[in-house]
Amino acid sequence: MSAATSFSVNGGTVRVTAPPLKRLADVLREDLGLTGTKIGCNAGDCGACTVLLDGRQVCACMVPLGQAAGRAVTTVEGLAEGGRLSALQAAFQRHGAAQCGICTPGMLLAASDLLARDAAPDEPAVMDALGGVLCRCTGYRKIVEAVLDVAAPQADSEPAAGSAVGARLAKLDGMAMLTGATRFGADAIPADALWLRVVRSPHAAARFAVGDLAPLYDANPGLVRVLSAADLPCNGFGVYPDLKDQPVLADGVVRFRGEAVLALVGEKTALEAIADEAVPVAYEPIAAVVGLDAAMAEGAPLVQADKPGNLLIDGGLRKGDAEAALGSCAARAEGVFETAFVEHAYIEPEAGWARRLGKRLELHVSTQSPYMDRDETANILGLAPEQVRVLPSACGGGFGGKLDLSVQPLIALAAWLLERPVACVYQRPESMASSTKRHPARIRARFGCDAGGILQAVTMNADFDTGAYASWGPTVAVRVPVHATGPYHVPHVSARGRAFFSNAPPAGAFRGFGVPQSAIAHEALMDDLAAQLGLDRLAIRLRNALRPGQATASGQVLQASVGLAPCLEALAPPWSAALADAAAFNKTGGAWRRGVGIGCMWYGIGNTGLPNPSTMALALGRDGALTFYNGAVDIGQGSSTVLSQICADALGLPLGHFQLVVGDTDLTADAGKTSASRQTFVSGKAAQLAGEDLRGQILRLANAGPDAEIALDGTALRVTDGAARHVIELDSLPAAADGTVLRGEGSFDPPTTPLDDNGQGNPYATYGFAAQLAVADVDLALGVTKVRKIVAAHDVGRAINPIQVEGQIHGGIAQGLGLALMEEYIPGQTENLHDYLIPTVGDVPEIEVIVVEDAEPLGPFGAKGVGEPGLIPTAPAILGAIRHATGVRIARVPALPHRLRAAILAQAGPEDDTP
Amino acid sequence: MDAMQYEAPGSVDEAVALLAAADGAAWVLAGGTDLLVQLRADLIEPGLVVDIKGISELRAITPENGGFRIGAAVTGAELGEHEGVKAVWPGVVEAMELIGSVQIQGRATLGGNLCNASPAADSVPALIAAEALCSVVGPKGRREVAVAEVATGPGETSLGPGEIVVDILLPERPARAADAYLRFIPRTEMDIAVVGVAVSLVLDERGVCAQARVALGAVAPRALLVPEAAAALIGGTVDDDALERLAAAARAACRPIDDMRGTVAYRTKVAGVLARRAAGIALARARSE
Ligand SMILES: Cc1cc2nc3c(=O)[nH]c(=O)nc-3n(C[C@H](O)[C@H](O)[C@H](O)COP(=O)(O)OP(=O)(O)OC[C@H]3O[C@@H](n4cnc5c(N)ncnc54)[C@H](O)[C@@H]3O)c2cc1C
Ligand code: FES
Ligand code: FES
Repeated sequence: MSAATSFSVNGGTVRVTAPPLKRLADVLREDLGLTGTKIGCNAGDCGACTVLLDGRQVCACMVPLGQAAGRAVTTVEGLAEGGRLSALQAAFQRHGAAQCGICTPGMLLAASDLLARDAAPDEPAVMDALGGVLCRCTGYRKIVEAVLDVAAPQADSEPAAGSAVGARLAKLDGMAMLTGATRFGADAIPADALWLRVVRSPHAAARFAVGDLAPLYDANPGLVRVLSAADLPCNGFGVYPDLKDQPVLADGVVRFRGEAVLALVGEKTALEAIADEAVPVAYEPIAAVVGLDAAMAEGAPLVQADKPGNLLIDGGLRKGDAEAALGSCAARAEGVFETAFVEHAYIEPEAGWARRLGKRLELHVSTQSPYMDRDETANILGLAPEQVRVLPSACGGGFGGKLDLSVQPLIALAAWLLERPVACVYQRPESMASSTKRHPARIRARFGCDAGGILQAVTMNADFDTGAYASWGPTVAVRVPVHATGPYHVPHVSARGRAFFSNAPPAGAFRGFGVPQSAIAHEALMDDLAAQLGLDRLAIRLRNALRPGQATASGQVLQASVGLAPCLEALAPPWSAALADAAAFNKTGGAWRRGVGIGCMWYGIGNTGLPNPSTMALALGRDGALTFYNGAVDIGQGSSTVLSQICADALGLPLGHFQLVVGDTDLTADAGKTSASRQTFVSGKAAQLAGEDLRGQILRLANAGPDAEIALDGTALRVTDGAARHVIELDSLPAAADGTVLRGEGSFDPPTTPLDDNGQGNPYATYGFAAQLAVADVDLALGVTKVRKIVAAHDVGRAINPIQVEGQIHGGIAQGLGLALMEEYIPGQTENLHDYLIPTVGDVPEIEVIVVEDAEPLGPFGAKGVGEPGLIPTAPAILGAIRHATGVRIARVPALPHRLRAAILAQAGPEDDTP
Repeated sequence: MDAMQYEAPGSVDEAVALLAAADGAAWVLAGGTDLLVQLRADLIEPGLVVDIKGISELRAITPENGGFRIGAAVTGAELGEHEGVKAVWPGVVEAMELIGSVQIQGRATLGGNLCNASPAADSVPALIAAEALCSVVGPKGRREVAVAEVATGPGETSLGPGEIVVDILLPERPARAADAYLRFIPRTEMDIAVVGVAVSLVLDERGVCAQARVALGAVAPRALLVPEAAAALIGGTVDDDALERLAAAARAACRPIDDMRGTVAYRTKVAGVLARRAAGIALARARSE
């Protein structure tokens, strides 16, 4: 039933012929082409679709077209005034309030609604107004700051040549995010594309057979093709060259709920009309292996028939004699700590489209790893990698979850076979059911120290539930033993990491690769040791902090940029103040108790003991265009901006000249994946070298010395070397086919060595360090924890862009808070954003960031990575605060209220019944 | 979606006639914050949808005999902006204002919250404690029914075919009367209640509790009125002892489920804690009257 409905959008009247129950969000995007309105859940939970309806914020996915009739709708496209950003948009830009940008339209409109009624709102009013829009990247603080600062004057002066590094620069790609112009995976799908819908297993483990498809085709003329395992030239993928264990479409057996079984390709409306039950798949459920105990049990059913004992990997590290050393320790602590599956919950579900161009295939997808997508897709389709071109869309959040393939091979196969563009956008529940998760861990650890609190020995046994397929399981199991000690010097270490298969979604890469889980263990045990010896918790950490010249658990002697001690020293004054404040607060009595906790971390930047090179290029055209070919996709963390800042200063031209080509596998060189906090360090170094290379060529052409100044003026390069001036006319130089006259290139592969059988080696070229404190209040009667404040001191080597550094830390903290307190993915139960809870603006406390710059000599301008470090110490610090407040040591996260309450009760004994 | 028929009548009679004439599934659409989610998730079968947001009498808040008659399609945001209702029935308003986010507030209606019949619906315990009545109009005319009688179980109501709730009557309040609603959710905002407790009470001149009603949400298949809990308050000055008896009665009334949001033991415990705290708030409000 379609009818014509008229309403106004951004001031102009529109008339749409569509069913009156079609959601306004879909009408705006599909019928009106206003793709600035985003869809993250289609259920009212995420607020990404927020628009104004008669000036009030509503979720456009919750408004039927019929109810918009005659009313006024404002979308993000309507916010800029006369081509200029509105004051609110400008404030977002200034404050770095948009990271990936997918939540930004919703945030802007929610804030606009408030500002229209209250031009100078206070912080609680802002938090209240934004409460319905989820952001997974920013930790909300910069968004709140931006709204509060809306009235401040706009000052966007561009840094001069040579002063981009260290500047608080707004993101280069920020403007487009604020006007709704940025195109994410679902935003630029051609009108003539066919759509693809995945049929997924409702069972965790089953055999299945596909029945006769003829009736399905007959009943649905718009259904063009049903793809099954048989259609795939090579039906296996995985991130390791020799471990392609995950089928694109299951072949007779499903190993987790949500696994892809068939792909329906056809007209969008036809696919939507097909009920799941109408697809003839007959399942025969088999006993599912759920959880680590079941997976590790003697004689357990095998999730993958050729993986005995359900074991994926058993990795370990040995230095000295930990057992013997523990025996002679003055104080020992031990514990078993457990974590759950955690969902990435990026606000943009997986999306993209593909088309075939003769013998080549083009993939437009939201991804963290364009080169791996290219190679994997080519492998699956039986094509040469060069036949596949990946053009990444903007990525609405990744956090590790968009490193693995999702829609890529399916749309590629369909487009290849049907020779039509084919698009796929996951629904929220299927995104959550099918995408990778953080590994649930069970970590048994022992820490021992001498009477002075100096660590002597550590043992750690970390078992991970890796789900049905390998994904990044080996990476996690290998990285964790290296980090087992925490950022402390320990002479005797024995650590083991194992990963086991189970009938659950594959556990893959998630910010921190297992280290957030193990940090919960080592920090709790550090607190134990402090308590046993009567030492201050910060002091014991400072005593043991790794320092230059000391060897890590893997025997790597750290030379420089080992900044934990400075971080702890910076944290000491707020630590003492917080302890005093908590003591005073607790004197007042009442149901709430205040506690303060501390967490430290270290994190090896880049892949573990494996090569991980990056190459960047910078080209000057005969027309004077300066193009930065950057294969590192920016998933919101700001690499496009940060790498440009580095490159610009290395070259010596202002950033304003830079034009960016990002991630296009035809035009850029392989920069590796956007993971493991490596892009600033590895690709940043390559960008620096590329800039220096081009600079060197220019100086040679001008016969100028190394300190000469360069200016680009149209097609003229002016080089000033003291009193000497030279002009290079670019259009007079010989040009390559694409018009390039000068091209600089830089490659960097951080120096590492592989780990030997005892886990010894130099697996990372550099490490990030951090120390954080958390202040939290606990309602003893209800077991509720409210985090009040986080102070985060991070050694980042050099903050290339302090706004981005703070943003990464804020975002990591919000995710760490979720890990500590609320996030637990349970297949079949928490497959949407109202049952799977992530922190809202109201959950994230005030955050104070202290940037410590202990320069890394290998890094670009001294920088190293900061993408993951914010997350890692957060849960330990919060759990420490809970323990300080209640006396309860939490051994299982999330510390859900009912669990914490039960633990408080168990500790107090049955007679306690706090009102 | 094309299988759905959509109508937006201008009057209650028209709406009732459309619903009564429907063959097959027929749904009232108010704010749609439940209905559209259920439709999307294929939880309900498609059919006729009758949009009642265009019916002006369902959108009005009218003072009546010292109380208020609130149209079923009044939203949480509209209720929250109504100073009159807020002054007299602060607990009902705070319950409705807890629903969802600001975006959801602008859409979600009181009638929808009631008729969706979720055991965790926030406004329902408050309405029950307030002894609210609702007017139901159907093919057989108009009837009045206590709010507590509308939901019969999760997603089930006592409404007959073609019947719609048109308004909810909040009665007049004597002096020194107040109500309060508290719910528990694990996150700061945007989640459904693990437990909800509403307390409404009236004090006499000496500060003795003369009347009380206590209702619980999310601890049973539908919201419960708990007279034993109210009895603990009536006749005394709501001292600590009374509050403890109130909490015990609230706990005793719970028949909750065990799920990822909380165990049976935990929900039961929370009901007692919230009952005490809600009574404390209602008491303070009544005293400051
Ligand atoms: C993100 C989100 C958060 C939410 N948070 C909460 C929360 O915190 N607490 C809570 O209680 N609820 C919550 N809800 C649920 C929902 O918003 C409320 O129940 C709301 O009050 C429903 O009102 P509505 O007008 O949107 O109902 P609709 O969806 O329009 O209708 C709900 C049901 O009632 C029927 N109906 C509606 N009006 C009438 C009428 N007048 N007569 C007869 N039948 C009628 C409909 O047919 C339908 O079955 C949330 C929903 C979302 C999407
Ligand atoms: S898409 Fe509308 S709220 Fe998530
Ligand atoms: S910036 Fe908010 S979700 Fe990415």
